[in-house]
Amino acid sequence: MLVLTRRAGESVMIGNDVIITVLEARGDVIRLGIQAPRDVQVHREEVFRELQAANREAASPTEDAVRAVTEMLQTSEE
Amino acid sequence: MIDPSLGLPTISMAVPMPGFPAHREFVLVRLNEDGLLYAFTSIQDPELRFLVAPPEPFFPDYAPEIENEVFSALNTRDTDRLLLLTVITAGVEETTANLLAPIVVDRDSMRAMQVVLSGSGYPVRAIMHRAY
Repeated sequence: MLVLTRRAGESVMIGNDVIITVLEARGDVIRLGIQAPRDVQVHREEVFRELQAANREAASPTEDAVRAVTEMLQTSEE
Repeated sequence: MIDPSLGLPTISMAVPMPGFPAHREFVLVRLNEDGLLYAFTSIQDPELRFLVAPPEPFFPDYAPEIENEVFSALNTRDTDRLLLLTVITAGVEETTANLLAPIVVDRDSMRAMQVVLSGSGYPVRAIMHRAY
């Protein structure tokens, strides 16, 4: 891992168009500002990982599971 | 399996779904006559599909705020043309809906992305009950 030291107000660049600026450092809390092109999604890592796991779990349900959901929807019409 | 000749309009992901970086084009296949359930199906690999549903009938209080960055990523001109779909994890015991990260589709540009509603407090797994 590349390790750099930065002070508040200083930035690092990733590639040509992603800029990460340290806005404030207070104790162990660091506030970052991120400028990135709109097709680059910026997430907190734990949120991205959770979403990735949720999507993988949701992907390609079994026929039984699809049937269960369809039945749940149909019962609602009664 | 989806036959491309079904003629369904192709939806392009402005940003791929987390976990599925290679899948950029999908079609929305209706599974339920009332339009309550769809299969968001990859064109590259029709074996990959997500069950999705409009959230309103299931979560009437759900009112996510979509940020302007999303509109520009989707080339949205008219926000009334946006379609919100929640990704469903189907289980025989329990079915959940991802309210934290709905898929937003612009029906004019046919671009879509899964939007993370950071700070909204919406759950990734909300238990789904019958439609109201």
